[in-house]
Amino acid sequence: MVNSLFLQFLTGLQLGAIYMLIALGLTLIFGTLGVVNFAHGALFMLGAYVAVLISNSIGFLWALLLVPVILFVFGIIMERGLIRYFYDRPHTDQILVTFGLALVIQEALKWGFGANNIPFPLPSWGVGIVQLQEYLPFLDGFVAYPKWRLILVCVSLVTVGALFALLQFTRFGLVVRAGMRDPEMLRFLGVNVTLRFSIVFGLGALIAGLAGLFGGPVAQVHPEVGMHFLVPSFLVVVIGGMGSLPGAVLASVVLGMALSFSAEYSAIQQIIIYLVAVIVLLVRPRGLLGQKGVME
Amino acid sequence: MNTAVKSSSSRGDLKAIVLFAAIVLSMPFWFPLIGGYPGLDTKILIWAIFALGFDLLLGFMGYLSFGHAAFFGVSAYTTGLMLLHVTPNIIPAMIVSIVVTMALALALGFITLRRSGIYFSILTLAFAEMLHRAALSIFSDYTGGDNGLTGIPSPELFGRVLHETDIFYLCAAFIIVGFYLARRIGRSPFGLMLRAIKSNQNRLWYTGINVPGYRLYGFLLSAVYASIAGSLMVIYEPYVATEFLHWSTSGEVVIMSVLGGVGTLFGPMLGAAFMLYFENVVSATLQEQWLLILGLLFMIIVIFLPGGFVDGGRRLRNWVQGRKAPGANAGSTDTERAE
Amino acid sequence: MALLEVHNVSKHFGGVQALQGVELAVEEGTIHSIIGPNGAGKSTLLNVLTGQIAPDTGTVEFDGQSLADVKPYDINQLGIARVFQTPAIFPELTLLENVAISAFAHRDGKFAFNVMETPAHAHEVYEDAERMLAEVQLEKQLKQEARHLSRGDKRRLELAICLAHHPRLLLLDEPTAGMSRHETQSTIELLKRISEKGMTKVVIEHDMHLVFALSEHLTVLAQGQVIADGKPEDVRGDERVVEAYLGGAHE
Repeated sequence: MVNSLFLQFLTGLQLGAIYMLIALGLTLIFGTLGVVNFAHGALFMLGAYVAVLISNSIGFLWALLLVPVILFVFGIIMERGLIRYFYDRPHTDQILVTFGLALVIQEALKWGFGANNIPFPLPSWGVGIVQLQEYLPFLDGFVAYPKWRLILVCVSLVTVGALFALLQFTRFGLVVRAGMRDPEMLRFLGVNVTLRFSIVFGLGALIAGLAGLFGGPVAQVHPEVGMHFLVPSFLVVVIGGMGSLPGAVLASVVLGMALSFSAEYSAIQQIIIYLVAVIVLLVRPRGLLGQKGVME
Repeated sequence: MNTAVKSSSSRGDLKAIVLFAAIVLSMPFWFPLIGGYPGLDTKILIWAIFALGFDLLLGFMGYLSFGHAAFFGVSAYTTGLMLLHVTPNIIPAMIVSIVVTMALALALGFITLRRSGIYFSILTLAFAEMLHRAALSIFSDYTGGDNGLTGIPSPELFGRVLHETDIFYLCAAFIIVGFYLARRIGRSPFGLMLRAIKSNQNRLWYTGINVPGYRLYGFLLSAVYASIAGSLMVIYEPYVATEFLHWSTSGEVVIMSVLGGVGTLFGPMLGAAFMLYFENVVSATLQEQWLLILGLLFMIIVIFLPGGFVDGGRRLRNWVQGRKAPGANAGSTDTERAE
Repeated sequence: MALLEVHNVSKHFGGVQALQGVELAVEEGTIHSIIGPNGAGKSTLLNVLTGQIAPDTGTVEFDGQSLADVKPYDINQLGIARVFQTPAIFPELTLLENVAISAFAHRDGKFAFNVMETPAHAHEVYEDAERMLAEVQLEKQLKQEARHLSRGDKRRLELAICLAHHPRLLLLDEPTAGMSRHETQSTIELLKRISEKGMTKVVIEHDMHLVFALSEHLTVLAQGQVIADGKPEDVRGDERVVEAYLGGAHE
């Protein structure tokens, strides 16, 4: 009994992990820059593609090193080259241009690599199962769990931790947090917002890249996967509260659990995240941890 | 995008509608000349109807829905199921489809409209996707799941089986009437309120206007157009694909409207024609990359020419006129919603 | 019975007590000013009156009818119109359309599904709107888009929008904020002219010149409380008022 509950719990964390990472970037970018990035799923997808290409040619460890860097740089270029021209334009225009970019990225990948799934084999050290009962005494008997999925969960938790540490303990983080609460004031004070905006966007892209790197083998690597993950990630952001990082974490866990515990009832599982979204939005419009008045 | 009230004569209006009707009704004659294959013209009209209603929501009211496939698809499935299980007569099929879609629009509107524009875009995207998944899984017994709804009989009207040309003229009738009605709506006080919502919703709350009410009705109107389009699609081709509920369908109507020029009513219809023509005729030479090129074109329009083709045409005309009469006041701001 | 009666209204935000036990009565047909140093709660009070926020305690009654839980647009339809501190107009629409919106709200109420009504058919409304624009001397720019107007003209437009609704009570939130001497003077004259029609006005102002030129009644707010209330000449000499202004930051 405990076994099965724990497994479902773990699966919930794993199912929510990719969404968590994508949602973190989304809500970070929205909270700081006020931009809704419909191309964020495409960033995840780019991460997965870059990861699989590097991994299949020179090894996963190189991918581990290069993907975050490449995505970070891509994010900065994207912000400097496109997004920043839309800060003063209406939100619909921001959504339209990022949607357009997502479409272009998707079609470009399709053109370059075909519409089919690219197999993403796990690195040798990531293959296999972990006997959980060796580490967790409260489990009864043999409880196996795929190693890679555990790694994915750990990566997501570590990333959340690192992000929070960055925001809480560094000067950069302080400025970003202040900017999330009151961007006008920050500009007033003459703080160099421009550079920080770029970095924040790059960070968001980097985190999405990590999701692609570790989630790629679990999800699939094909041109539709970007949009496929974007919709639930948006729901995570909305349920958690737009602009709230803790909210994104909480909501992704909630959604992951909902998916995991409804796995037996496959019909419900398909639409459970939407049902949860409806309920949360009707009962608490600002989201679980959202600030009142933000986008209400 | 203004209405100079006094100078828009009803005669000019009539001229525009007649001209439009003439172009549409003569399509079977001139469309093949530019490479269009039979049936594509019907498809263009159907998407034009879809885009027309979409413009009321986006161009007039300022709400960007990424889930309009929900209305298109649900209506298509309803029509398909009606034709398949109840009667091949299209009239009850269309009526039931519209009613069902409006019920859906009421429910969706209630959840999504109360939020700001951003939430609205995200939520419409999400709930359309929910319906898409439901059609693939929970309701697959009814919808045919992955394979879509097949085996639909040829549609009939008053006992007469409808052939290709009949269906074309049926769609033509719908688009001509639909365009006329949309123009009337646009110039009505109701239409003015929709534009006021886009311009400064907050102000409207304090000017004695029931904003939620107008928002919902605007949303419903656009859903009706989408529903008619979805229904006609199945009449045109007796098969319902799950793609009709897919986000790409929602995306396509967004792209068409923006390319053509939101808020102009004519623009989105032009965008529909352009996109379908590009996809089916031009792409013969480009193979697979038509959507990539269209996506790039879309981005260019959003960044540099947000008013779309219609605005581009307007600027071009002003530039040409300016060159013809140097010294005269060139580049005047058009205040008339002219054809 | 006064046209507008505010009884014991209190409102707090987080730890800040914005309004405390505010009592106010505005008689019909008068110009009633509310003044006070920055942060006194004037805007909060106005927001309560227009239904933007709900008070924690107390009641607001308009013509004997409670405004509790009444939606802002219903409050408008009852006869209360508001001019905002930063001119709130419809930038992409023409001046005529801006005012017509309000005129339609007046004719049709808060909702009308008149999708088939032609502009020709609605000509009376558009004529009414034109008249309102003439009242505020903006009729020459009928067909211009509102966003091209200067700030002062935007404020006039906003006034025209409010007037088109033929309100019984007009709330003005610092109508001369950011205006030059000349603009302030013409605003005073404009307000005087429309006041001849007997419309009740509540004005929140900093500009003392305007306040004493126009008002028949004056309420002074400081730190969320009413500290003086009466005729301008009487309030002028009130010690507490002087102290409130000198104690706080003021022009």
